[in-house]
Amino acid sequence: MTPMNPENNKPNAGYKRRSASQWAVAWRRFRRNKAGVAGLIIVLAVVFVGIFGDALAPYPAFPNPKALTPFYNGDVRTPPSSKYLLGTDVLGTDVLSDILHGTKYALYVGVVVTAITMAIAIVVGSIAGYFGSWIDNVLMRLTEVFLVFPSLLFILIFVRVFTLGAGAGASFNFLGISIPIGLTIVIFVLAVFNWPGDARMIRGEFMRIRELEFIEAEKALGASNRRIIFRHILPNILSSIIVVASLTIAYAILLEAGVSFLGFGDVNTMTWGQILENNFSDMRIVWWAEVFPGLAILITVFGFNLLGDGLSDALNPRLRD
Amino acid sequence: MAETLLKIEGLKTYFFTEAGIVKAVDNVSFDVRKGESLGLVGESGSGKTVTALSVLRIVPKPGKIVEGKIEFKGEDLLEKNETEMQAMRGREIAIIFQDPSSSLNPIFNVETQLRDVLLAHEKISKEECRKKIIDLMNLVGIPEAEIRMREFPHQFSGGMKQRVAIARALALQPTLLFADEPTTSLDVTIQAQVLDLLEELKKKLGMSLVMITHDMGIIAKMTTRVVVMYAGNVCEIAKTEDLYEHPRHPYTALLLAAVPRLDRKKKLRIIPGNIPNLIEPPSGCRFHPRCEYATGKCAEEPPVLEEVEPEHFVACYEWKNISLKGENH
Repeated sequence: MTPMNPENNKPNAGYKRRSASQWAVAWRRFRRNKAGVAGLIIVLAVVFVGIFGDALAPYPAFPNPKALTPFYNGDVRTPPSSKYLLGTDVLGTDVLSDILHGTKYALYVGVVVTAITMAIAIVVGSIAGYFGSWIDNVLMRLTEVFLVFPSLLFILIFVRVFTLGAGAGASFNFLGISIPIGLTIVIFVLAVFNWPGDARMIRGEFMRIRELEFIEAEKALGASNRRIIFRHILPNILSSIIVVASLTIAYAILLEAGVSFLGFGDVNTMTWGQILENNFSDMRIVWWAEVFPGLAILITVFGFNLLGDGLSDALNPRLRD
Repeated sequence: MAETLLKIEGLKTYFFTEAGIVKAVDNVSFDVRKGESLGLVGESGSGKTVTALSVLRIVPKPGKIVEGKIEFKGEDLLEKNETEMQAMRGREIAIIFQDPSSSLNPIFNVETQLRDVLLAHEKISKEECRKKIIDLMNLVGIPEAEIRMREFPHQFSGGMKQRVAIARALALQPTLLFADEPTTSLDVTIQAQVLDLLEELKKKLGMSLVMITHDMGIIAKMTTRVVVMYAGNVCEIAKTEDLYEHPRHPYTALLLAAVPRLDRKKKLRIIPGNIPNLIEPPSGCRFHPRCEYATGKCAEEPPVLEEVEPEHFVACYEWKNISLKGENH
């Protein structure tokens, strides 16, 4: 209740009504969630490294990781020391620098895979969930087709075929940033096989909201289908979408690392998974070239997961139990 | 007699469920006159709400209007396409729902909700829109409109929420307003306020009001004419006074006898039985299994509405042979 001034029956001077929008409430709830805040801090740190990693790295990025000559003064498989904080790997590159340079790729994978995944999932999920009947049937069968594909196998095949087609180390320019084509293809293939689960979730949410009375009320006030979908249902499930998106980022980073580790990623881009793959055969000697990139993946994925859980608790408090 | 605004003729709205076809509204005919308050009364499940949703053509799936005519201002609404209907909803015909806490979008503040309605149908400037919103909130009696319009539905009490819902329904000054049990989910003290407000607004804006309710007290207070519905059929149409004094349909009489009264120590009548299953409704008159006056004929053929005296229609074979007690007997 607003503190009232008894003399003039108006709110006290200087009293500012606390903002009570859904987002303000969620933020207040989020701040109380220690795990969520820890996740947010980790994610912000990873983003910071992603942006400034190239400048922070003690050594420049390795131009061609498959080149067989040692790059840094012939210091191959050097254990961690003051010169190479996390040691050097089988190719003679500084592991710390590799991790720092690789952060931007991890974020690129996470964010773009999630963006494409969510875009497809939202379009398919909303149409299927809102219109129902045969449209729903057709779209859900299509979704199931993607769901029952042995996706890992397809990812391996597509990535191999397409990265070979693009040529080794090819890249394109986007807003002045050089982006490797091979990795981009990996991203697209990952996204194409990743959307069905999220589409189902969004469909379910649409079906739930569609039946609520305020949708009927909006219809009674002359709202069109488009208006109901974009203005009334989507904003209502935005919180679920945000939660799923942050978890999808974590999953995509993990998936790309897995694909690269199996040797089917973009061999010309030193992603974290690629570092693991390069040093796998010598793991018993260069444990540092496996453990530290692995830790980078672990911390990043953990951070996004914590953030996702925190968001989930803050945005959908009813789902907690 | 005032001009007819809405004329419903032989309306059939069925729900095609997996269990079978639910005949929620079956051959319903009545009219709404310009500027009048019409009551639409009946037990839960008698088809009152579905009738209103049919007029707006927003019957939820798997419901469908199967047959009939809904003439509004001389035009058949059932012949209009979806875009034309969208233009009618809110602007010409509006509805207030039972539960204000679920009929407002929880994530937008009141200003946004009202602005959406205003801008959906007409192009007006930002300041004009703001002014209209404040006017509307004043109209429905929400104090401190300028502060409260920035608040969200969950910050309003039930009565205030219903006022917001009313403001939203009235934003475009519709000529016909359905109020679907607008006070059922409110406290008794708030009920009277909301009803008074509706009455006042109806007079001020000169619209027709269709009050959907099962509460005979509200009917007596608010309406001049009543349509009594039972199991998807209309059983009686009469002027409110007439209906209370001389109900002609046994079901109406039972409805009246089920209203508690303080001034008389009388046992409340309970209408025996339940509203019938509408997938396989009783043959003939749908009320006959629960009716103490039923004869063999009632089970055979459904009775049609006949005019027993001016402005008083009843669908019953036995009306001549029975004498029913009104409210004051």
